[in-house]
Amino acid sequence: MLPHILESAKLFYPELALTIAFCFVILAGLVTRNRIFTGLAGMAGVLAALYFVSVQAPVDGTAFSDMLAVDGFSRFFKIVILAATFIVQLFSLQSAELKSRAMGTAEYNALLTALALGMCLMAGASNMLMMYLALELTSITSYLLAGYTREAEDSAEAALKYVIYGAVASGMMLYGISIVYGLTGALDIYSVNQALGSGQVNLWTLILAGILITVGFGYKISAVPFHFWTPDVYEGAPVTITALLSVASKAAGFAMMIRFFRVTFADLIMGGQETGAWAMLGGFEWNEVLAVLAVLSMTLGNLVALWQNNLKRLLAYSSIAHAGYMLLGVVTMSPEGVSAVMIYFVVYLFMNLGAFYVVMLVADKTGSEEMSAYAGLGQRSPFIGVAMTIFLLSLTGIPPTAGFVGKLYIFSALIGAKMIGLVVIGALNSVVSLYYYVRILKNMFLKDAAPGGAVFGLSVPEVAMLLLLLVPTLLLGLYFGPLVEYAQASVSIFGIPR
Amino acid sequence: MHLPVPIEYYLALSAIMFITGVTGVLARRNAIVIFMSIELMLNSANLALVAFSTRMGNDAGQILVFFVMAVAAAEAAIGLAIVIALFRNRETVFVNDMNILKW
Amino acid sequence: MTLIDVIFWFFAAVTLGSAAVVVFSRNIIYSAFALLFTFFGVAGFYVLLGADFIAITQLLIYVGGILVLLVFGVMLTNKVVSVDIKSGTLNAGVAMVVVSLTAGTIAGIFYATEWKTAPAEMLQPTTAGELGTMMMTSYLLPFEVASVVLLVALIGAAMVSRRDRSKQEAA
Repeated sequence: MLPHILESAKLFYPELALTIAFCFVILAGLVTRNRIFTGLAGMAGVLAALYFVSVQAPVDGTAFSDMLAVDGFSRFFKIVILAATFIVQLFSLQSAELKSRAMGTAEYNALLTALALGMCLMAGASNMLMMYLALELTSITSYLLAGYTREAEDSAEAALKYVIYGAVASGMMLYGISIVYGLTGALDIYSVNQALGSGQVNLWTLILAGILITVGFGYKISAVPFHFWTPDVYEGAPVTITALLSVASKAAGFAMMIRFFRVTFADLIMGGQETGAWAMLGGFEWNEVLAVLAVLSMTLGNLVALWQNNLKRLLAYSSIAHAGYMLLGVVTMSPEGVSAVMIYFVVYLFMNLGAFYVVMLVADKTGSEEMSAYAGLGQRSPFIGVAMTIFLLSLTGIPPTAGFVGKLYIFSALIGAKMIGLVVIGALNSVVSLYYYVRILKNMFLKDAAPGGAVFGLSVPEVAMLLLLLVPTLLLGLYFGPLVEYAQASVSIFGIPR
Repeated sequence: MHLPVPIEYYLALSAIMFITGVTGVLARRNAIVIFMSIELMLNSANLALVAFSTRMGNDAGQILVFFVMAVAAAEAAIGLAIVIALFRNRETVFVNDMNILKW
Repeated sequence: MTLIDVIFWFFAAVTLGSAAVVVFSRNIIYSAFALLFTFFGVAGFYVLLGADFIAITQLLIYVGGILVLLVFGVMLTNKVVSVDIKSGTLNAGVAMVVVSLTAGTIAGIFYATEWKTAPAEMLQPTTAGELGTMMMTSYLLPFEVASVVLLVALIGAAMVSRRDRSKQEAA
């Protein structure tokens, strides 16, 4: 056993780096109150983890007795998660909202690394026990971070709602896991798949279990109808945390969900169908369930976003809609669909974090997240105005921004799977989303600033940060070949013949 | 070992307990009662897991139960800490109604 | 009816009855005490099933830890017993119908299912030792991750619930 554990530890360096950083930051917090120091220490941990992920040999395997799969798929998602965490750590160094809280900065930075650890484990978890535990580590850390600025009274309330919804969702998921365990006698998803494939499993029981488990996933990626927590938590949590939840924790949820459906319910022996899609066990088409979730998420997210006046709330509904678009990629149940989701996540990382960064800058300078604070922003601070325009156009999916590329690959995967109806619904939804994104633009450029609305400049780090997010958003819209190739090369999930 | 009680009895019990917990979450408005209801849900899943595990002679289920208990303890601690923080805010900072965020 | 059957039905009555009290009682203190009986009842089932280690852990963690925590929560916030965290609730009648339908469906599905069971003579009463060995070998990673979860909860609960000293001085 010991040699196996030592062997596994070599595949575990990224997570180890995060764990060490977590412990170090906590200990450092006992000695120093310096938020820059603990922030940088946390960032060093995340950077080290990124380094270890990128130097890992491109071999698929599992670690710790099949607890974790270390494969191209998990590496890709870990890179997205760690990059998002790193960018949010940079935001946190600048955020005025966080500076206002004197105590607990070391805890904040430590929890960020713990959150990254939880999400990385989610991306690789290949055992239902590990999935549950990683999901809980991520969730518990998110509750705490969402309630971090609890002096702002809505932060604590958001955290409370988050805990209740999260605990209920994970309770349902656990019940589903227990049923699957009862049916198959196994917890690791490969053995579960084998047991299911050998037949003699009551289909209705399996469907019940699958739906209960989907509740857990749906909550994590905030898909309708498990989205209720999203607007309140996004509005009440500190902007930095909202940004991280909208990108990284969604990515982790998607990674776990795709791996679960791909390995557990797919017929691995029969292989694919003629269209390249995976065949499902027992003849139950899980992608129809997911398609319903996707359509509901897109439509409800976009329609409700139309009425929002708080920017964080608006972006929350927009993120629900984006979860819907990404679910469309999963619905195809094909390698093209999965690589499209992966491409979408890289694009979404930059454009969504960019939009949240602008919200943070405006909130720090005007003290407001309402639509009215953006009136005349284009004249008061042209650079922010232009940057926000690009991020929003990209979120809509207008060429030549990166968002267009993301949507293009999702839709072409759907066309490849002959699901034209979903393409039409997705395209119509993009049109609806244009309306509310343009409403912000109209406010920024066509309305005059309220009297007394200060003209504000940007400091050098702020400009650099905006550029860091802006350049990829534009560049990936024009030069996306390498990203697409990398994503397509990374769809390999351990144990799945390609 | 003699096994008189069929596993289905345990499962039916666990299903009823689970649904009772879900009802509590849906119907009650007090945060602490909701937490108690969530504990009922977790306990019912644990009961099902232990029943499966012992009847299959497979210990993995009991291991999962052990971890669920650890996580439940962590979750309860966090949940109550947040309730208390909220309570203190309401008491000292804001003695208004509690629905600042729309539901 | 053997003795074990009698014990089973006794625990079933205790568990389900007290679970109902937890959920439907108007008095939060009654709920908390009813939860104690639910936890004990579930622990009794674990003993009946032959899961000795889990039964002890149930008593230690749920009764000794979580329940005490919940009672503290009740005491510290008893003035806000009626904290509304939701604006709307389900109509009681509708709730009952939905609940009985769902419970019936799930129970029906469970009855119809062939569960994977081993013949009785193969079953060994599990011992703590076996579980311990598993936790140090195949389940080492979850074991370590659980320690991170607990550390996060420890630090986080202190972070969230303590008073901000700077704020207090200002006040």
